Amino acid sequence: MLSANILLFVCLGYVALLFAVAFVVDWRTRRKPIRWLQSSVIYTLSISIYCTSWTFYGAVGSAARNGLEFITIYLGPTLVFIGWWWLLRKLVRIGRAHRITSIADLISSRYGKSPSLAVLVTTIAVIAITPYIALQLQSVTNSYQVIVGNNDGTTTAFWIAAGMALFTILFGTRNLDANERHHGVVAAIALEAIVKLLALIAVGVFATFIVADGLDDVFAGISAETIQGAGDIFGPRWIALTFLSATAIICLPRQFQVTVVENIEERHVATASWLFPLYMLGMTVFIVPIALVGQSVMPSGSNPDLYVLTLPLAENRNELAMLAFLGGFSSATSMVIVAAIAASTMVSNHIVMPVALRLLPAKAVSGDVRNLLLTSRRFSIAAILGLGFLYFYLSGGSDALAAIGLIAFVGVAQFLPSLIGGIFWRSATRAGAIAGLVVGFALWAYTLFLPSFDGHFILSAGVINQGPFGISLLRPEALFGLDHFDPLVHAVVWSVGMNALCFVVFSALTTPDGLERLQGALFVDVYKSSGGSASNISAEVADTEDLFVLAQRILGGVPAKKLFDEMAASQGIKTGLPHPTDAVVARLERELAGSIGAASAHAMVTRIAGGQTVSITELIDIADETQQVLETSRQLEEKSAELERTAQQLRVVNDRLRTLDAQKDEFLSQVSHELRTPMTSIRSFSEILMEEHTITDDDRARFVHIIHDESLRLTRLLDEILDINRLEAGVSKLDLTQLDANAAVKKALETIAGMTRSAGVTVRTELATDELWIRANNDRLRQVMINVLSNAVKYNLADKPEILVRTALVDGFVQIDIIDNGGGVPPEVSTSIFDKFARGIRTGRNHGAGLGLPISLAIMRAMNGNLTIEVTAENTTFFRLSFEHALIRHRAPAPAQGTA
Amino acid sequence: MIDNADLQLARRKTRDRSVALLVLGIVLLMPPMVRIAQIDTTVFGLPFALVYLFAAWGLLVIGAALLARPLRDSEKPIASATSDDTTG
Repeated sequence: MLSANILLFVCLGYVALLFAVAFVVDWRTRRKPIRWLQSSVIYTLSISIYCTSWTFYGAVGSAARNGLEFITIYLGPTLVFIGWWWLLRKLVRIGRAHRITSIADLISSRYGKSPSLAVLVTTIAVIAITPYIALQLQSVTNSYQVIVGNNDGTTTAFWIAAGMALFTILFGTRNLDANERHHGVVAAIALEAIVKLLALIAVGVFATFIVADGLDDVFAGISAETIQGAGDIFGPRWIALTFLSATAIICLPRQFQVTVVENIEERHVATASWLFPLYMLGMTVFIVPIALVGQSVMPSGSNPDLYVLTLPLAENRNELAMLAFLGGFSSATSMVIVAAIAASTMVSNHIVMPVALRLLPAKAVSGDVRNLLLTSRRFSIAAILGLGFLYFYLSGGSDALAAIGLIAFVGVAQFLPSLIGGIFWRSATRAGAIAGLVVGFALWAYTLFLPSFDGHFILSAGVINQGPFGISLLRPEALFGLDHFDPLVHAVVWSVGMNALCFVVFSALTTPDGLERLQGALFVDVYKSSGGSASNISAEVADTEDLFVLAQRILGGVPAKKLFDEMAASQGIKTGLPHPTDAVVARLERELAGSIGAASAHAMVTRIAGGQTVSITELIDIADETQQVLETSRQLEEKSAELERTAQQLRVVNDRLRTLDAQKDEFLSQVSHELRTPMTSIRSFSEILMEEHTITDDDRARFVHIIHDESLRLTRLLDEILDINRLEAGVSKLDLTQLDANAAVKKALETIAGMTRSAGVTVRTELATDELWIRANNDRLRQVMINVLSNAVKYNLADKPEILVRTALVDGFVQIDIIDNGGGVPPEVSTSIFDKFARGIRTGRNHGAGLGLPISLAIMRAMNGNLTIEVTAENTTFFRLSFEHALIRHRAPAPAQGTA
Repeated sequence: MIDNADLQLARRKTRDRSVALLVLGIVLLMPPMVRIAQIDTTVFGLPFALVYLFAAWGLLVIGAALLARPLRDSEKPIASATSDDTTG
């Protein structure tokens, strides 16, 4: 026999280890999450709190009494997990998207954030799991007693309960996580999951291969009846138990907590889908051998529920007994801790907080909601474990507790219709959910829960056996004469069946309000929506904060802050948020209406200010959606305006293109015309030379000369066309240097001196006395001046042809005027004269000069100057070359560069 | 290179298989099918009922393990799934 001291020492050491694990993980997670602790394996191990001490000890007892029936408890969850894609995935997605904190939160959120529904679910959950917690206390107490001998079970149970409460409070309520996740606790229960699995397998191996002589020995002489249990094992009870366990893995608050709420990544569910069934397989594979070995080895009358512990003890394997004890201890504590966390979350969120917010003065609450929440959660944990202990104390640790697990399963199975209906059926309504839950809960209490006390609580033994007031039709375990069922199956059929029926019928009869409809759509179509947006505001935080968040989302951070500061100032509050008075609400509504429309603003603000009807996350979603719509329509408007502008620009460009096209056609026709004239004469003279053999040598020489001249003209013309194209396209950039305009003029005049002399033209100059610095290309400038000057010579029809060249500096511009007395250009052609092959030019004597002026203009423009036709006071015209006056820079002539 | 249509088809097949697995589990483990476990015989010295139930259970675990990854990946966007989908 192990001494109590050693056992206590090992126990405390183990608990200290759990504390250390939880503490380290919590501490590390807040700084930098440990990767492997966020893994799917840890997730799966945490789900294994499904295997409580009821599995650890009770499954062997159940196998000893009822054969293989115990397997159903694990087959149901297996089916749920292998079908994870269809149900668990959706639950987890909804839980993450809507930041669901508990199963009560899920159901109430789904049905329009109904507070009454949340209270109802919480109440049922607490009533259903309190005996379950008591069962864990009892099993730990019993196992303790088995090892150290009989002692005061009540005291032991009390200290166990107190220890668990302490652990849960320490690590379950350290801080308020918006996601209600408890990494430290999860790590600790994962460790416990490994311990209990190893312990059970160790005992199984011990029983099979050491106590007995292998599997053959274990099963030798065992009849099929012993294995299968008495009666029809695969009957209604088999189905009912599988259904119940499948329901429990979803609906038990602690399972919901670890599977949905503590889920870190959705893909972990995929791994758990096979790993968790495998874990349960490992937990159960040795159950039957242990039970059979226990039955054959242990003295008759010993409790088969404790074979796992008593078998090693009977064989004097104290270390193994210690390991088994720790395994049972682990399964009990992990279940109790998580169940307490889950229940306390529900109780504090849905019962304590609403009441506290209503009773306490607004001032006391508004500042310190988080503290209030934590405090209420701590008290809830203590209260739930207190209730469990009380239940254990009052029931006196009787064997009747063994059935408690299944009773709890049926209790939480009442959530199933509302839960499944809520996430798959849009038309499910709050009225349907409430009706189903109330009816199902009442029938569960009447047909299963109360009769389980054997007449010691509310229902007397007489009522249980004969029915209330002797009406046998109303007997709790044979309602309306349905007495050919096992009591458990009877209760399942009645409670869950009527629950589902009421749920469907009432849902069909009632119409959901807007909020229910909205939430229903969000839940049922969770894969379609993007999910709840990230908001760290818990649903419990005071109204103004919610309004502020809403305003921020809609108005933008800074304007919202400004608005709320203003409103706070008008209430005389220096820092912080204003009180949600009617004036504040109305003002906010007006402000919001500007962004999202009056109707939406009213709906949102009154919903927040008026109470918790829809989660703030959802309102923000609506707001975001509205914003997106607004933004989209604004962008659309912008786009269409932009399109309009583009179209306008296109029209303008198109017109210009048409003009240019027309000009190009004109140009081509002119060019071909210009080219055609010399070509014609070349061709005709060539033909004469080829065909006429009688022409004289003189004529021949003359004709060849004409052909040569015409060829030169043609070449010059083509050169000019190429030149002007290059200039206009900006392909050929001119090198500009600083030069003196007067000097350039003088040089140009020298160049054409021969021409002027032969034409008998007098050239006069009136040059400015100062040097006139310009930036130009010397050669090109001379080309322009020669061009203009030669024009003036050629077209001058006056009797005494005379040309005046003058330079001046006017308003920062250097002007070179070339004036002739030939009458100038007729004013009506003064603009078109620069067009290529303009008709004004062609009327002159020389047909070949058509490109001179356009080229000159192009050159001047390429040198940043201009060539214009000016009108004198005497209504004659002259040509003016103008340049910007360049600053004098003697030392450093500007480097060669482009058109800049 | 897997075509998008082929990928979509493969994903549908994966989901169909997960339904099939679930149906298989229910059929194997629920009456009337499970009653075949009641034959009074032994397999390797073990009672047939025990072997049948654990074998069916193990089968479901294996099936779920094989389907877990394809199912998980079947939610990835098609474009990226073609590049890193190792299980097809």
